[in-house]
Amino acid sequence: MLQFARFTLIRALLAIVTLLIVSFIVFTLMELVPGDCAERYLAFKNTQGNVITVQDIEAERQRLGLDKPYLVRWGRWVWNAFQGDFGDSCILRVNIAQLLGQKFWLSLGICLTALVLAYLIAIPIGILSATSNSALLNNSLRFISYLGLAMPNFLLALMIMLFSTVVFGDSLTGLFSQEFRDAPWSYERVLDFLSHAWLPIFILGWSATAFAIQTVRALMSDEIGKLYVTAAAARGLSGRRLLWRYPARHALGPVINSLGFDLNRIFNELPVVALILTLTDAGALLIEALARSNDQQLAGAIIFLLTASIVALNFLTDVLLAITDPRVRHSILR
Amino acid sequence: MTETTMTAGGAAEIDQKRKEAYFTASQRQLIWARFKKQRAAMIGAAVLITLILSGIFAPFLSPYDPTLAGRDKEYENGAPQIPKFWDENGFSWRPFVYTYERTRSIKTNFRWVSTVNRKKRRYVVFFPQGDPYTLFGMTFRTHLFGVDKGKIHIFGTDSTGKDIFSRTLHAINTSLAVGTIGVFIAFVLALIIGGISGYYGGWIDSVLQMITDAVRTVPAIPLFMAIAAFIPSEWSSEARFFFISIILGFIGWPTLARRVRTHLLTERNQEYVLAAQLCGASASHIIRRHLLPSFTSYIIVDLVISFPYMVLSETALSFIGLGLRDPVNSLGVMLQNVSQADVLLNYQWYFIPVIFFMALVLSFVFVGDGLRDAADPYSDTRK
Repeated sequence: MLQFARFTLIRALLAIVTLLIVSFIVFTLMELVPGDCAERYLAFKNTQGNVITVQDIEAERQRLGLDKPYLVRWGRWVWNAFQGDFGDSCILRVNIAQLLGQKFWLSLGICLTALVLAYLIAIPIGILSATSNSALLNNSLRFISYLGLAMPNFLLALMIMLFSTVVFGDSLTGLFSQEFRDAPWSYERVLDFLSHAWLPIFILGWSATAFAIQTVRALMSDEIGKLYVTAAAARGLSGRRLLWRYPARHALGPVINSLGFDLNRIFNELPVVALILTLTDAGALLIEALARSNDQQLAGAIIFLLTASIVALNFLTDVLLAITDPRVRHSILR
Repeated sequence: MTETTMTAGGAAEIDQKRKEAYFTASQRQLIWARFKKQRAAMIGAAVLITLILSGIFAPFLSPYDPTLAGRDKEYENGAPQIPKFWDENGFSWRPFVYTYERTRSIKTNFRWVSTVNRKKRRYVVFFPQGDPYTLFGMTFRTHLFGVDKGKIHIFGTDSTGKDIFSRTLHAINTSLAVGTIGVFIAFVLALIIGGISGYYGGWIDSVLQMITDAVRTVPAIPLFMAIAAFIPSEWSSEARFFFISIILGFIGWPTLARRVRTHLLTERNQEYVLAAQLCGASASHIIRRHLLPSFTSYIIVDLVISFPYMVLSETALSFIGLGLRDPVNSLGVMLQNVSQADVLLNYQWYFIPVIFFMALVLSFVFVGDGLRDAADPYSDTRK
């Protein structure tokens, strides 16, 4: 038990260090954008008809703490970020945590659902294709997987939209119907959300599933040829009992380990899908922040949050793996 | 009787020769022998080479200039014209397309309406003189094909009348170039970082690995977007092009670096490294001259595998509007045009470049997979 606590602690520390490095990268990127917050804020005031002097800019800088050294500002940003406060966006002039809030959780929910669905489909199919000798099944699965990789998901989204526009007369875009957009959460709103969210979930899950099938299949066919499987078969086990108890347990360890990177891949596709389906989630905000208004505070916050959720998932899977697999625990502790 | 023994002896000799060839074969020959056995990879390689060649020779193969200079004012948003050999007006050995005439009058409410004139044929000609272009530093005017009167658009035209076939070929060229530069930069960074990390090991390795892992955790496309947003909008398309390639390279290195490190970690304890160290060779000399050549083939495989991701990233970036922009012909830009509702419903031929895009990515993936299997000496023994 003590061992396990130590392992968890080490992993948590590693996760925090990773987040610190990421936050440094993100913060540096934010700083590289020409023009700081004070200038932008006052430029806005200027358009409102106020006369702005150099002293005003300096005063504003001091108020926002922009005159402090680089590392101090980074430290402050990180400290606040870990408490869920990302400051104000200097373009939209609202608190970022408020602006993002629900939208971020919605996006995370969509992505995680896509991930779970992908593995629910991929694990049985991957195992099946690794164990069966049917060339037809294997080749068609392989082809579908490759197609999942090569077909950009925005293309898939476009195809589905084209189809639904022609057939149903509804383009299936957005996350909520008109009447529920700003309504408080209620049973009807959840239903409405689900009736819209299946499309982004499907599109995001599509290539994730293709990848997952490949991974599961490769791991499974590695394990299935090993001697302990033959030994188990010799002891009289067969069929599903044999597969699930022996090779699958070993093969799924690395799969659990790679969940974080799968989430990473799904996040990669989030902005593009959001753009096509005109979603109002974090992905759309990111595009808005970067492509249109160059709002570095907002963009930095979103990237940091996305990375933080990947790191959190990595931490969780590590702990989960240590619970299910004592070898992992010991390899860390030695 | 003697005949059979002779043939048996001959067979044994051939067998012996084959064995000798196998045991003395170089790494490259072995990989090629294993690669040849995989049908999917061979087909992929054929498609890939065709696409690369058509990208390189795009100016010659495409009938018109893909920029505004080569546009067809008479045929905007025009449907693909498929060359025919015969119709109700008779047969012709030379394939032909019809003439499209645009008219505008009080009858059509002063809107341009194009009609097909099936009487007026445009015959396909080969090696006509057309828009000038430069290839390998020389200027030419000869194109592969064209028509005797007017213009031919086998993939149709876009909203400004640019020939989609010409644009697609040039787009393959651009996307391949972006990918190549990106892969090259990623490769150099990966060699340096992975090389140092793997060769020295210890705390240097731990620190570098932590950084690599951190970079790998950040979702790449949002990060691309964040960096690409710095590009001032007044930059020329060439500058954007190079900047995008460099970004792709700077974000793509961690995966490669990790592999280089793993290879080095296993190799650095070998006797030949110790021998070189005892002879007084410097660290960079050992990495460059002794360690890297020991797994060149694996590195090449990794490069091929990472290539489609570069192309995909470029496409996603351009699609969002942060990558390359319209005057440049890249596959991402071509796909961006597809996303308009108008196109979805009325001008489906905008989707033709999509097929090329998918063929390019798929063939890279197949070749990469085939190469990986071929380069793995244990792939035969495994199931």
